Amino acid sequence: MRRVAEASRRLRGVLAVAFVAFAAVAISAGTAHASGDRDRGAYLFAAGGCAGCHTDTKGAGQLLAGGRDIKTPFGVFYGPNITAHPERGIGRWSDADFVRAMRQGRRPDGGHYFPVFPYASYTKMTDRDLLDLKAYVFSLPVSDRPNKPHDVAFPFNVRALVFGWKLLNFEPGEYRPDPARSDAVNRGAYLADALGHCAECHSPRDRLGGIDANLRYAGDRNHAGAGIRVPNITPDPDTGIGKWSEDDLDAFLSMGMLPSGDFAGGEMGEVIANSTSKLTAADRAAMIAYLRQLKPVVHRVRGAPAQ
Amino acid sequence: MQGIVRLGAAVAVVYLIVGGAIQEAAAQSPQAAVAERQALMRANGGAMQILAPIVRGAQPWNSSIVAQASRTLVEDATKGKALFVAGTGPDRVTTNALPSIWERKAEFDAIFDRMTAAATNLVRLAEANDQAGFAAAFPAVGQTCGACHTPFRKPSN
Repeated sequence: MRRVAEASRRLRGVLAVAFVAFAAVAISAGTAHASGDRDRGAYLFAAGGCAGCHTDTKGAGQLLAGGRDIKTPFGVFYGPNITAHPERGIGRWSDADFVRAMRQGRRPDGGHYFPVFPYASYTKMTDRDLLDLKAYVFSLPVSDRPNKPHDVAFPFNVRALVFGWKLLNFEPGEYRPDPARSDAVNRGAYLADALGHCAECHSPRDRLGGIDANLRYAGDRNHAGAGIRVPNITPDPDTGIGKWSEDDLDAFLSMGMLPSGDFAGGEMGEVIANSTSKLTAADRAAMIAYLRQLKPVVHRVRGAPAQ
Repeated sequence: MQGIVRLGAAVAVVYLIVGGAIQEAAAQSPQAAVAERQALMRANGGAMQILAPIVRGAQPWNSSIVAQASRTLVEDATKGKALFVAGTGPDRVTTNALPSIWERKAEFDAIFDRMTAAATNLVRLAEANDQAGFAAAFPAVGQTCGACHTPFRKPSN
């Protein structure tokens, strides 16, 4: 009788250990996607400006549920749902799928993303940052909003042709700090080039949508093919931001105020609200330091940048 | 009795004519509304140009200057909201105001209300000579400027 009781006690002990082990496995499986650091990811999410193109703000849509129209010379793209919904979002993506999308511009099925998704910039993000970003995106509420098909004419709607575009315009690979530059300038380069993807709009593009390397950061006279002027942000004093003080630049990036007392609106207003206003003061200073040391390019986009 | 009725009718007619004329004068032309809006926005910009360097430490703190500039923002926010009446959009007059203002009027008006509240708070802090509190509250006003210019103003070229 005593033996039976002891056996039963032992069995209960084994079961308890098994249960704890099972629970531990179950919990770790449940958070398997959260391999990255969500809080770091939240900051990177702001710095990367993901919300802008993936949220239908005009239609009061849910964060990252897609549907925002993005006008280009090739047609209108609609930002897709990138919430963690398993069918309509990216909920089934593995870490590798996420890294490949951001670094290579490839879908989980191997297809090419149109470069309206600025992976030519995001490719420069580090693996760690990509995984932290994914952890944050996957922690947000999911949406079952279906994706809206892009309204883009032939031949620009052929994904396979993006392969050719990539050969001409795309250099995959994460940012390697330049030892000849200060830490601040390297950090600023990472913030502006990899995360902020500033050059995507602040540079003119050729007829195939590639950035004109000689005029990188020197502004665009025909943004979105709609004649919208995007300022030259190289340090040229007459056609760029060479006459702006550090404080002018910080006032602009932190709250959108121009030296005239006017406040930015339009797409830059969105960038300020979503991204640059949320950077730490040190990161904003780093971004400014990076822009300051760019090669000044004479390129008049309009009379002069607003003063 | 008849005389009184006649007099009453005459008074009513005069009242209607004069009242109508007064009302007519009060209703602005779309051009006048745009001019007034633009003057008001320039005044806002001027106030922000006074405030920003003080908040950012480039100019010394002066509570009466700061309070005065903040009061300008409160007045302009209150007046400004009333100047975007129907019929003063880009279909009627040359303006950088976008049609989205009248499509989403409640949202637009709410931003003006937020600006009024945020600027009123600035006046209070300035009058209390609370420099640190003022600096902390200042960006909230700037945010309302951008929040409105982003969806409701035509990008400048």
